[in-house]
Amino acid sequence: MSLHRTSRKYHKWLMLFVGLQFVVWSISGAYMVVMDIHYIHGDSLVTKDIPSINTEQVNYSINELLSEYPEAKHIKLGLLLEQAVYRFSITKQKMMISAQDGQRLADINVAAAIKIAKQHAADENAEVLATTLITKQPPGELSARHLPVWRIDFDDFASSSFYISATNGELVTKRHNFWRIFDWMFVFHVMDYVDGSAENKLLLLVTVLALFGSVFGVVLTYFRLAPTQVNKRIKR
Amino acid sequence: MAKVKSNANRIVKLSTIKAIHKWLSLVVFVQLLIWLGTGLFFNVMDHDKARGNQYRLAVKSVDINHQALMATKQVLSQSERAVKELSLVQRLGQPYYLLTHEKALYRHFNNEYSLVNAYTGKTQQIDSVMASSLAQLSYSGKAKVTNISKVSPPFDDFLKEQNTLWKIDFADQLNTSVYLDAGSGHLVGHSNDDKRFVDFFFMLHFMDYPIFTKERTGGFNNGQIIFFALLTLLLCLTGLIWTIEMLLKGRYKLR
Repeated sequence: MSLHRTSRKYHKWLMLFVGLQFVVWSISGAYMVVMDIHYIHGDSLVTKDIPSINTEQVNYSINELLSEYPEAKHIKLGLLLEQAVYRFSITKQKMMISAQDGQRLADINVAAAIKIAKQHAADENAEVLATTLITKQPPGELSARHLPVWRIDFDDFASSSFYISATNGELVTKRHNFWRIFDWMFVFHVMDYVDGSAENKLLLLVTVLALFGSVFGVVLTYFRLAPTQVNKRIKR
Repeated sequence: MAKVKSNANRIVKLSTIKAIHKWLSLVVFVQLLIWLGTGLFFNVMDHDKARGNQYRLAVKSVDINHQALMATKQVLSQSERAVKELSLVQRLGQPYYLLTHEKALYRHFNNEYSLVNAYTGKTQQIDSVMASSLAQLSYSGKAKVTNISKVSPPFDDFLKEQNTLWKIDFADQLNTSVYLDAGSGHLVGHSNDDKRFVDFFFMLHFMDYPIFTKERTGGFNNGQIIFFALLTLLLCLTGLIWTIEMLLKGRYKLR
């Protein structure tokens, strides 16, 4: 069998098996390159306007904090809405105290969570659609180490959600539908259907077959489009 | 079957679809083979080596004398610039207050810091000596430092980083470089020849070629990849139609 006919046969048969994955690769790849990654990560949802700490509010020092909580790690002075607060962790427990007097601050309630979410939102007129307190079994898009967390859903085109820590009021992460779609596209792109990484054997098998199928395709491109080959066919 | 064929003929002629498939293959085949080849590489490569952390050490924090720390309020009031966040950090076993004056969404975006000695209240500039010591503290190899330099973005080793960094090179076989934020002194990361090798494949996969834009971005949202991705999508869809046509015509027969 000539190289031309062999290539045609193998291109035809290999693409029957891996052609669908080619369609999946090109759709998911096109989505990922066309959608700007900073938009996908929801960076444009969050305001760049961050208020400064008012020194007058800080009457409790880190020395006092460390005397009271000697195990405190990752100590950070910042703001909770308009109030100066210390955030830190003891082993894996997150804590928050007032920077005015060192008082332990209660967990964030729903009203505060909404206020915090709106403060972080780039869109000043963002409307909140729903609120949920997540204390266990977080959705895939939220790491369990952040729990408990308030999920604040906004009433916007992309169905964006802010996740606000219920213990220290920090914006832990954000998601919207185009990011959720992006995550699915990535899963399809690396054929991560079974074992959770780009190292999986299914991807290896399909990529090798796809590579062979494509090389045969390139041979066909030569036979169909190279001027000398086309002339030969016309003469025949 | 005949009906399907006539319907397809009515919308776009099958011969047109086949011609598009052939000509597109000529345009995209080089990049398509690169995509498959690099994809295969990512699948089989050593993912641990790819991180560039062969000689990276976790820096341990030490106990400090918290009674001697300067009062937080005093640190804030002596700062000339407004402070958005203050944190207690350690550098070379000493406590420092890290003041953030410009706080971006992520650490690798543009941030502005000052580092204040937590005992004396003196502002600490990170000079080459301190940068070199910080780098060596995070480095488990035995090789010597060969070069210390303050560098501005973009960085080939960390394309997404937007802050000024200290780059400390080590004389090991992997040509390890350690990067530190020049403002805060935090460790941005380690890079070495293994990571650079993998980064080269990412550049190929993302078509992040410094041809039209002059600069690499480390991302995959550039004009040339969008163009080729859309052509490849069309190549695949025309191929799918062709395959379906052959299936309907009974061209897939096992002899």
